[in-house]
Amino acid sequence: MSSTFALARPRMRKGTGMILPALVLLLAFFVVPVALLLSRSVTEPELGLQNYRELLASGTYAKIFFNTFLVAGLVTLITALLAFPVAWALVIMPRLLAGLLFAIVLLSMWTNLLARTYAWMVLLQQTGLINRTLMQFGLTSEPIPLVNNLTGVTIGMVYIMLPFMVLPIYGVIRKIDPAILQAAALCGATRLQALGRVLLPLAVPGIASGALMVFVMSLGYFVTPALLGGTSNMMLAEMIAQQVQSLVNWGLGGAAAFILLVVTLSLYALQLRLIGEPKGTA
Amino acid sequence: MLLTFEKMGAWRWGLGLICALVALFLLLPIVFIIALSFGDSRWLIFPPPGWTLRWYEELFADPRWIESALTSAKIGLIVTVFSVALGLLASIGLVRGRFKGKAVLRTFFLTPMVLPVVILAVALYALFLRIGLSGTLVGFVIAHVVIALPFSIIAISGALETFDPAIEDAAVVCGASPWEARLRVTLPAISHGLFSAAIFSFLISWDEVVIAIFMASPTLQTLPVRIWGTLRQDLTPVIAAASTLLVALTILLMLAAALLRKGKKA
Amino acid sequence: MTAPYLHFQAVRKTYGDVVAADRVDLEVPKGEFMTFLGPSGSGKSTTLYILAGFQEPTSGDIQLGGRSILPVPSHKRNIGMVFQRYTLFPHLSVRENVAFPLRVRRQSQAEITQKVGRALELVRLQEFEERMPAQLSGGQQQRVALARALVYDPPVLLMDEPLSALDKKLREEIQLEIRRIHQETGVTILYVTHDQEEALRLSDRIAVFNAGRIEQVGSGQHLYDQPATRFVADFIGDSAFLSAEIESVQGGQAAMRFPDGTRLGAVPLHGAGAPGQKAELLLRPERIGLSETGSGETAALEVTITDVTFLGSSTDVRAETAWGEGLFVRLPFSDPLSQSVRRGQRLWVSWEANGAHLFAA
Repeated sequence: MSSTFALARPRMRKGTGMILPALVLLLAFFVVPVALLLSRSVTEPELGLQNYRELLASGTYAKIFFNTFLVAGLVTLITALLAFPVAWALVIMPRLLAGLLFAIVLLSMWTNLLARTYAWMVLLQQTGLINRTLMQFGLTSEPIPLVNNLTGVTIGMVYIMLPFMVLPIYGVIRKIDPAILQAAALCGATRLQALGRVLLPLAVPGIASGALMVFVMSLGYFVTPALLGGTSNMMLAEMIAQQVQSLVNWGLGGAAAFILLVVTLSLYALQLRLIGEPKGTA
Repeated sequence: MLLTFEKMGAWRWGLGLICALVALFLLLPIVFIIALSFGDSRWLIFPPPGWTLRWYEELFADPRWIESALTSAKIGLIVTVFSVALGLLASIGLVRGRFKGKAVLRTFFLTPMVLPVVILAVALYALFLRIGLSGTLVGFVIAHVVIALPFSIIAISGALETFDPAIEDAAVVCGASPWEARLRVTLPAISHGLFSAAIFSFLISWDEVVIAIFMASPTLQTLPVRIWGTLRQDLTPVIAAASTLLVALTILLMLAAALLRKGKKA
Repeated sequence: MTAPYLHFQAVRKTYGDVVAADRVDLEVPKGEFMTFLGPSGSGKSTTLYILAGFQEPTSGDIQLGGRSILPVPSHKRNIGMVFQRYTLFPHLSVRENVAFPLRVRRQSQAEITQKVGRALELVRLQEFEERMPAQLSGGQQQRVALARALVYDPPVLLMDEPLSALDKKLREEIQLEIRRIHQETGVTILYVTHDQEEALRLSDRIAVFNAGRIEQVGSGQHLYDQPATRFVADFIGDSAFLSAEIESVQGGQAAMRFPDGTRLGAVPLHGAGAPGQKAELLLRPERIGLSETGSGETAALEVTITDVTFLGSSTDVRAETAWGEGLFVRLPFSDPLSQSVRRGQRLWVSWEANGAHLFAA
């Protein structure tokens, strides 16, 4: 550590010393525990693949997988549809309005997760604001069950994931030269044609990056499904926690964790390949 | 002309309407909890029939809320120190070091960010049960540093990459000792990176629920665990009061960050 | 000149208190290569953007073929444009970029194939059809942009400093291309630049912009020989200005006096000048000569040589008047003095009185 990293930079060739503390921490408290957990999926209750067989064979677990992918897909789709116009507006709106909208997006993102989820629990309940408003306007005669089911989970997750979709799309649209759209107009393109043939295709990298991130995060999300979802419509992360905590079935929990891990890391690898490293957007 | 607001014609209104609705959607829960926290309806009727500070009184009367907030703050601060320190060292190594497998190592360091937290929570829970760290402050800190570190590394290495090491060499040529050069030239130049690393690290620990649920013991509870536990029982407005305070804290931090950015530009 | 094809009528554009374009009046006949020349912020680009429909004029009108184009949105104006920045659609190949205007006009595939082929042939980039814009050099990108702007036979082609991002050699090469394409297609071109050399090389006529207004319109030769204002004289060609005072005015000509008392008679006068008023005399370095004696010339002034720069085909000689103002003389290689002139020498500069211009201050 006494070697300088200024003038003696060539000596840094082996300069892994700086990295060592972080590396040790991650090996001991990230790689080792995850590996131990995964190993339990093939060793408990006995050596073999019985946990995976059970996961793949049972209808209950199939439904959990289906729910998880369904919600993650829906959340990705809806956030993309909402985020594109918002990101676009953030780029072109007058400074003050754009600043305000940006502040709102950031505020919603930085507000405590449980506070936000709590608000949705109250808003969406039978006697909640949403249902009473709907009934007041005669849109429904009876309260619609909006919470303790996948509807509630989807609404709550869309809320949480929206900023993660807005930011990458915003980053891409901001870099598009407005003159390219002017050129499209002079070439004779109507606004709709310019949108479909120029702006949207140019925004695809941002949309893809946001979509991958939101989909991956949604697959493994725990808090929102646990609070806004019902016990009959469990999602994967919740099921892993339940297996381990309530049922003390480490084998099955480990197997489910392994599947989630493989899916997540494959999608992450895909993202790295296609788009590059995610930016700090927490 | 889709990137020139003035030339969008009627589309402006369409886009404006969508944005207004999304803004409403984003603000609704936040405004809603703030209103509820001051409303006197235990059943969370909105708009509230009257206004009261009762929920705040209840919140502050219960020592367990204060205690868990203090626990959260304590863990958050310790996590911040370790996360920034380890992140700084690792970033220097990753940005300036020259060794094989640097790119792979960097990707590895960022993995805790993408891995679902629930997997790490369950895995650490099992490990900590075995080595006796479950329910301890040390356990909390370790777990939170693991998930905060990637964000710290992104922020600091981002700042380091834009800083030309030749400037540090220049300081040494000017007569500064290498350590002096680092302290007086490099550190100030990347201070914004260190600062955002610190904010990210603190907020990640402060807001973290999933690991905390597994890690908590009856005697060691962070604020999110406390809220989580209460939420599972009933939706009392006391949570609204606690949430409102958290929102206020967020707004303060955002303002501080905005001011800091402005000061940096000026 | 026939009825104007493109007609700017008192076009004015203001942003709050700032006047970007002020009473721009201009008539452009069909097929002309017209250049807007002026420093940045002189209103030339603003005028072009108003024609393209990116900005609306505060007042005034623009007519094309006898009809106002202001109510027509950009995408229906049918105008072609090449921008200063590279504006090829980065996600489309060269062929699809050129095909874009035809696709949005819903033309048949056969027509598209034929017209795209012809347009790429025009800019000599047929073999680059399949490339993506990122794989092209800057010059190639601007040639594709030219093909894209011409593929739908626009009545007017706008070019907004299209070559400013390119290096000098490439710029000259593409200037020749643009001239050739203008001759082959006969399209009316409005070309914006701040580079006088480029303007002189390309245009039929040049409109010199200054502070939001057109100072003068004319061929390059005309602007050089008969500058209407000091600004035009300064902007077109090389020039030096010497201070003078008007003594008398008669029929567009003036008698004047230099600060050292040297008198000149019958110099063409621009602007309203009265006896006693301050003025400036324009001297073109290539239109004045150096000699060892001032006798026999209609106009001559004794100067001290301060610097001599050999430039191959010519020699630039810097000199100072008796009262300390600088000017320079460009001696052709054939002038024997160009070999012998030395710093510190006292010589006479001379010129034909009607070849100089006096601008009233």
